[in-house]
Amino acid sequence: MDTLNNILTYLGLGFVLLGSIFLFLGALGIYRMPDLYNRLQAGTKASTLGAMSVVLGVGLMQPSWMIKLIVIILFIGISNPLSSHALARASYRRGIRPFFKKKIDAYEQEVEREKQQRKKNQIKVEKVKEVAD
Amino acid sequence: MKRYIIFLFIAVLGWTLAQTFRAIPFGADRRGNLDQPDRVAAFYLKESPETLQTANSITAIVVNFRGFDTLGEVTVLFLAATGLASILYRKEEDDETEERITLISSSLVRTGAKILFPLILLLGIYVFIHGHLTPGGGFQGGAIIATGFLLMLITYKRFDTNHNLMVWLESLAGLAFVATGLYGLFTYGSFLQNTHSVGTLNDLISGGLIPLIYIFIGIKVGTELTNILDILLKIKPGKQS
Repeated sequence: MDTLNNILTYLGLGFVLLGSIFLFLGALGIYRMPDLYNRLQAGTKASTLGAMSVVLGVGLMQPSWMIKLIVIILFIGISNPLSSHALARASYRRGIRPFFKKKIDAYEQEVEREKQQRKKNQIKVEKVKEVAD
Repeated sequence: MKRYIIFLFIAVLGWTLAQTFRAIPFGADRRGNLDQPDRVAAFYLKESPETLQTANSITAIVVNFRGFDTLGEVTVLFLAATGLASILYRKEEDDETEERITLISSSLVRTGAKILFPLILLLGIYVFIHGHLTPGGGFQGGAIIATGFLLMLITYKRFDTNHNLMVWLESLAGLAFVATGLYGLFTYGSFLQNTHSVGTLNDLISGGLIPLIYIFIGIKVGTELTNILDILLKIKPGKQS
């Protein structure tokens, strides 16, 4: 029983170390990357994995907390990528363009299509109003 | 000339601040004698686990030793919410329906918000129910609940918080706080007196009135902040009535 606890403790310490390395890399990425999208990428991916493995390491060291910590891991896993997705989408729609020029920009096409759709709908509404008048 | 005056001003300000900081003995033990309290800090640290059976001594100070001040704080928040609502009130025109000024969210955000909303509410409720055991309390838990509602409000355009129910809940929670205090006043002769036993340390139901009052404060703060957010999100930019 004692050896198992020791093994779990060292495993947990390893996870915490791994997580802190990833968190450090995420911070470095936010400092060094050229534009918003790269920074979001570095900040989100690295910090999600880092935070998750730190929490998992703590759970391995203290097995009685494991259920709560799994809920926390799930929460981080849902909320962190979601928030950065919303940020990236909002900033693209606000008109912030990526630093490097890309050959294919799939999202731009989609935004254009949505705009045209909205225009069509507005014209329809106006026509209906004219008829009603 | 102006620059030198600014420099002089900043120097005087910095010197005063430094003098103030020098008067504070950093690193010294300011608690005083814990066994026979000679300072207020020692008194609170000794009394909150022993007589009140409260693990979180800050909560014990905020709700129990200084419960009357907390009633004042709640009133301030209530007045702020009322003032904001009265300033931002706008008469609806005939042909328009009230609408929030948010853009359409992507389906990822919609799905995620649906999953996260109950979890955030659960966290908020946990924080204010465990106010006497862990860090946090009614105000913090209420703020967390309000963030959960904010997430839903900006994600779903059709999500409605039922304004009337919110106002009723808020008022009832405030009234319950005052009623608890008055009950103590009439039965034991002191406002917000602990009217039931304090239980044992680290139990969920312990600390006398603290869990009860923090539940009221949590509901009140949560509904108030949600109402403020709801009103703020309904204002249309560029339209003057």
